[in-house]
Amino acid sequence: MTELTAPNVVAASTRSDRRRKLLQNLLRGERPYMLYIAFVVLLVVFSLSSPWFLSVDNFLNIGRQTTLVSIIAVGMTFVIIARQIDLSVASTLALSGMAAALAMSQISNSWIVGAAAGLGTGALVGLLNGILTTQLSIPSFLVTLGSLSMARGLAMMVTNTKPVIITNETYFAIFGEGTFLGIPVPIAWTLVAMIVGILLLHYNVFGRRIYAVGGNPTAALYSGINTKWVTTAAFVLTGALAGLAALVLSARSHAARPDVVQGMELDVIAAVILGGCSLFGGRGYILGTLFGSLIIGTLNNGLVLLGVSSPMQLVIKGAIIVAAVAFTKR
Amino acid sequence: MKPILRQTLPLTALIAATAISIAPAARAEVPATCVKGVDLATLGPKSIVGQGPHGEKAASPEVLALSDADAAKVKEKHFKVGISMQTVNLDWAQLQIQGITDTLKKYGVTVTGVASAEYQVDKQIADIENTIQQHPDGIISIPVDFTATAPTYKKVAKAGIKLVLMDSIPTGLKHPEEYASMISADNLGNGQIAAQILASCMPQGGTIGLVNFGVDYFSTNERTKGVRDWMQKNRPDIKMKQVDFTDPPKVSQIAGDFLTGNPDVKGVFAVWDQPALDTLSSMRAQGIDVPVTTVDLGLQSAIEIAKGGPLKATGSQRPYDQGVAEAMAMMNALLGKETPAWVGVQSLPVTQSNVLESYKTVFKKEPPPELTDACNKAKPACN
Repeated sequence: MTELTAPNVVAASTRSDRRRKLLQNLLRGERPYMLYIAFVVLLVVFSLSSPWFLSVDNFLNIGRQTTLVSIIAVGMTFVIIARQIDLSVASTLALSGMAAALAMSQISNSWIVGAAAGLGTGALVGLLNGILTTQLSIPSFLVTLGSLSMARGLAMMVTNTKPVIITNETYFAIFGEGTFLGIPVPIAWTLVAMIVGILLLHYNVFGRRIYAVGGNPTAALYSGINTKWVTTAAFVLTGALAGLAALVLSARSHAARPDVVQGMELDVIAAVILGGCSLFGGRGYILGTLFGSLIIGTLNNGLVLLGVSSPMQLVIKGAIIVAAVAFTKR
Repeated sequence: MKPILRQTLPLTALIAATAISIAPAARAEVPATCVKGVDLATLGPKSIVGQGPHGEKAASPEVLALSDADAAKVKEKHFKVGISMQTVNLDWAQLQIQGITDTLKKYGVTVTGVASAEYQVDKQIADIENTIQQHPDGIISIPVDFTATAPTYKKVAKAGIKLVLMDSIPTGLKHPEEYASMISADNLGNGQIAAQILASCMPQGGTIGLVNFGVDYFSTNERTKGVRDWMQKNRPDIKMKQVDFTDPPKVSQIAGDFLTGNPDVKGVFAVWDQPALDTLSSMRAQGIDVPVTTVDLGLQSAIEIAKGGPLKATGSQRPYDQGVAEAMAMMNALLGKETPAWVGVQSLPVTQSNVLESYKTVFKKEPPPELTDACNKAKPACN
């Protein structure tokens, strides 16, 4: 009798514990649950306020509009978990877009050449950021502040600040305007970036090392992890993803311009932090990041649909983001 | 909850939500009269219709011509002039600079440098202060912000330096004591051109959307006013809705959301060419095809007009000619001659049928292959 009932009691107790823990987590504002709740609350509020919000077309708008931030934020999650920061992502995007457009106009009007140039340029900027940060022990804040300026300057220099027109229809279809399995390609690329990010971070030894480096770099070093390589790899990944975002943006706008997305690095960092990543390293989730980005995108979208004036949008957006971070804080 | 479930459940929900996407319905109800119903010869005002920021009447650039004797005097004096721009990162800005430098060089005036404020007030203040330190005879400038930069512009006159302004007058500056002249395009006229073409594409009782710059700036205010005034006078049946942006990189998102939230909008006016292109980018993504008109001509907007797509027309400025007028006004001022408070430069209507010729008029050079190729593909509509 005892043998039969004991496991049941234990199981019931475990289920009860789990429910209690979940409830406690919710009440305490434990991430990431509060993040999803905040997202749902926003959806409900905007659905009740605007007749145009709750539609597939509008959700696709939000998806497309958050593409650039979401893609780069996947990489930024790795960087921030590794206790670093990358302020150069928007400039890297601008430079990568110019590289892709120039490669197609000067070398070969092939989308493969354009994509390779864009991704390669992004990865190269990331590699330089990583090497300077890890080999010279310069804080990444300063390194990437410098590369923010240098990459933007280079993007302006290469064509004397003029836009470069892109004419390759295949490039437009693959990165900007086509659909894949019914999903607009910018959203499909976001999903690809996110799935790769999840696999790398949560189901791969590289991800475990990133957490270890961010959580306790000294312990990680003594446990045999090449912390410099791991940190550099996070920067390369972020740079390459900025390159991918550049391909999406330039394909959507049929041109690359050196002055695009200035200041977007702040949106990217906000999305990552809102998504549960700690600025002090060692903690973060790709899915949280995506929802952080979606919360910002949904706010942008919903406020325009409600006809809120542009200055008031900034006020409301800022207040909601601060409130959301405050509520989801441990 | 196991990590894998925590990761995959919301992800699955998200994929499911996006996977049910269907191609959005296009809202193509453009009348056959669109653009074709407008005679290019009668399009737009034939003289300057706008007024200066203080209600001044426009003077024509011709009044700034120099006699041979005056030209000789300018050459003798070896004047120096500095330029302070809000950005150099626009075709518009580069053409202005080219117009100024080409003209000044012709008369032996040296350009000491071109500063670009990158739209930052503090940088422009520093740029102007630094330029004053170079002791030039004159400064030609466009204010980033006409309030915050005003005290700095007042220092220019106090330093005995002549000031010629582009497009806007800093608050409180007096003519002719503190600035010699302000030169701008006829933005009201350009708005009227954009309105007239857009109206030809609109069904009776339709609604247009105005993608407006939500910052109080004289030249952009005039454009939107030009559209509103023209519509109210000539097509009172057309309803107007407006969305404002203050951050140009966000136009694509804002315009896309605006069109989603206002499906009755059947035509769009965007306040300059880059917001128009960003609106087109959103429209393409959403499968929306409504006519768009704008003000200003750049290479990409010229290509879009040449293709015969949604971008139907623009009321173009003539930035090179404006730059020439600014240089001429400066030289008049340096000679101590009276210069008009406001000089207006005539608008230029650009549609698919005259885009190649207009490109030459505006850019003072042959169209590049990208534009001629786009035009060749769209022949005979594109000449």
